[in-house]
Amino acid sequence: MKDETRQFLLDTLTTMNYPIDGVDDDTMLGPSGADLQSLALAELAVRVEDHFGVRFNDDESEMLAGMTMGEFADLVESRVQAKSAS
Amino acid sequence: MGTSVAVSGIGLVSTVGSTAEQVFEAACSGRSGLTRPAADHPLHGLLDVAGFSPAIDPASVLPATESRFVDRSIVMALRAAEDALADAGIKIGRDVEADRVAVVVSGVGGLALHEEQVLEYGRKGRLGVSPYMLPGVLPNMAAARISIKFGIRGYTSSVGTACAAGAQSVGEALRILRAGEADLVLAGCSEAPLFGTFASSFTNARALAHGWDDPAQASRPFDRRRNGLVLGEGAGVLVLERLEHAQARGNGWHAEVLGWGATNDAYHPTTPRPDGSAAADCMRRALVDADLAAADIGYLNAHGTSTKAGDAAELAAIRLVYGDDSPPVSSTKGVTGHMLGASGLVEAAIGIQALRRGLLPPTYNLSEPDPVEVDHIVGQPRPAQVAAVLSNSFGFGGHNVSLVLGRPGPR
Repeated sequence: MKDETRQFLLDTLTTMNYPIDGVDDDTMLGPSGADLQSLALAELAVRVEDHFGVRFNDDESEMLAGMTMGEFADLVESRVQAKSAS
Repeated sequence: MGTSVAVSGIGLVSTVGSTAEQVFEAACSGRSGLTRPAADHPLHGLLDVAGFSPAIDPASVLPATESRFVDRSIVMALRAAEDALADAGIKIGRDVEADRVAVVVSGVGGLALHEEQVLEYGRKGRLGVSPYMLPGVLPNMAAARISIKFGIRGYTSSVGTACAAGAQSVGEALRILRAGEADLVLAGCSEAPLFGTFASSFTNARALAHGWDDPAQASRPFDRRRNGLVLGEGAGVLVLERLEHAQARGNGWHAEVLGWGATNDAYHPTTPRPDGSAAADCMRRALVDADLAAADIGYLNAHGTSTKAGDAAELAAIRLVYGDDSPPVSSTKGVTGHMLGASGLVEAAIGIQALRRGLLPPTYNLSEPDPVEVDHIVGQPRPAQVAAVLSNSFGFGGHNVSLVLGRPGPR
């Protein structure tokens, strides 16, 4: 499952015209890594919400810039599993 | 009466060219930019004819990450601004301080992108709407993106006066330069109206030309056989400088904007005041501002959109100002179509070329003039050395704007 999540995130970054060379689980999403600015982070979150049928609250959205790709993939995973269990 | 300012740079996006010289050549030769929508275009079957400007890759004017979700009107504005600055030989920060530059670039905004997003909202709800929508469509964003791209830190704004907005942006630039609030202003307008809801509204208002076998004949200002305007897309940006600023730079300029005027019909949201009185007052104000008499105008570039009500009201206005002695008059929309507010910039560029070349473009497709008598230029361009040009732009809401151009510069 995590591979699928990771691939979706990489595909989405490509769609958003962000380069993914060298992007891995340790890459920060925000300015010190993949360099997504505020609206780009918001778009990534919306695309994940749409694809996986999950929802992020405002606090989580604000934390995205400080997350790594791996951490965000884990968050998505946990949210998908919680949704499946409910 | 105020001081004049120099036009030191011109950047255009239009269906008949991207330079003042190309657009002027089209206006003089009758090289029409009006065509039928291609079979694969969304407007095929909806519009008989339109004025399509060349495609511009958004990534050629914006960073890749910002180019993906932006309205065409903003992309065209950025290209026109880039070309205008290059034409003027201006680099912000090198030739002029960033906080001494202003931007007044207008237009109706990114309504095509808004239409797409409304459809996505209807299809998918919240998740169909991009967080980039607002900066992609707001009507201030052409001006704002220009300031961001070129590092301009002075007054930045846009005016919302429909089809008068481009000429009014030039007028606002005069006001700013005369007040000493900037040394240089980028004044312009960009319009991308060729999408479904916009075209449908014009179609249902019975405002568009239709039924012409040859699309090049569809736009026929002041001609009795006209049956509506032809929508076009386009953009124009002028670099305007205080004259002494342009002289000090030593790079020359094309001509001067001598004055401007603005009035409102106070009559109807879309129908012009039939007696032309407010439009006539607008022209008179521009003449006073330019410190010229009506007879000093050697060429009048009319708004002339090829609608019955609009053409008739403008002819009435010209008669009010000039009686039986009008200057040579033409509308160049016969070849360009109506680019809404952007027409004001394209037509200012044509007026400047007329001054510089000593040649006045005709009204294309004008074979049976309206009975109201003015000195129409028909058929061939008319050689004439003129001292000043008056250019009219009128918009929904009853907005009237006139510009006076003169004194060709050393370029």
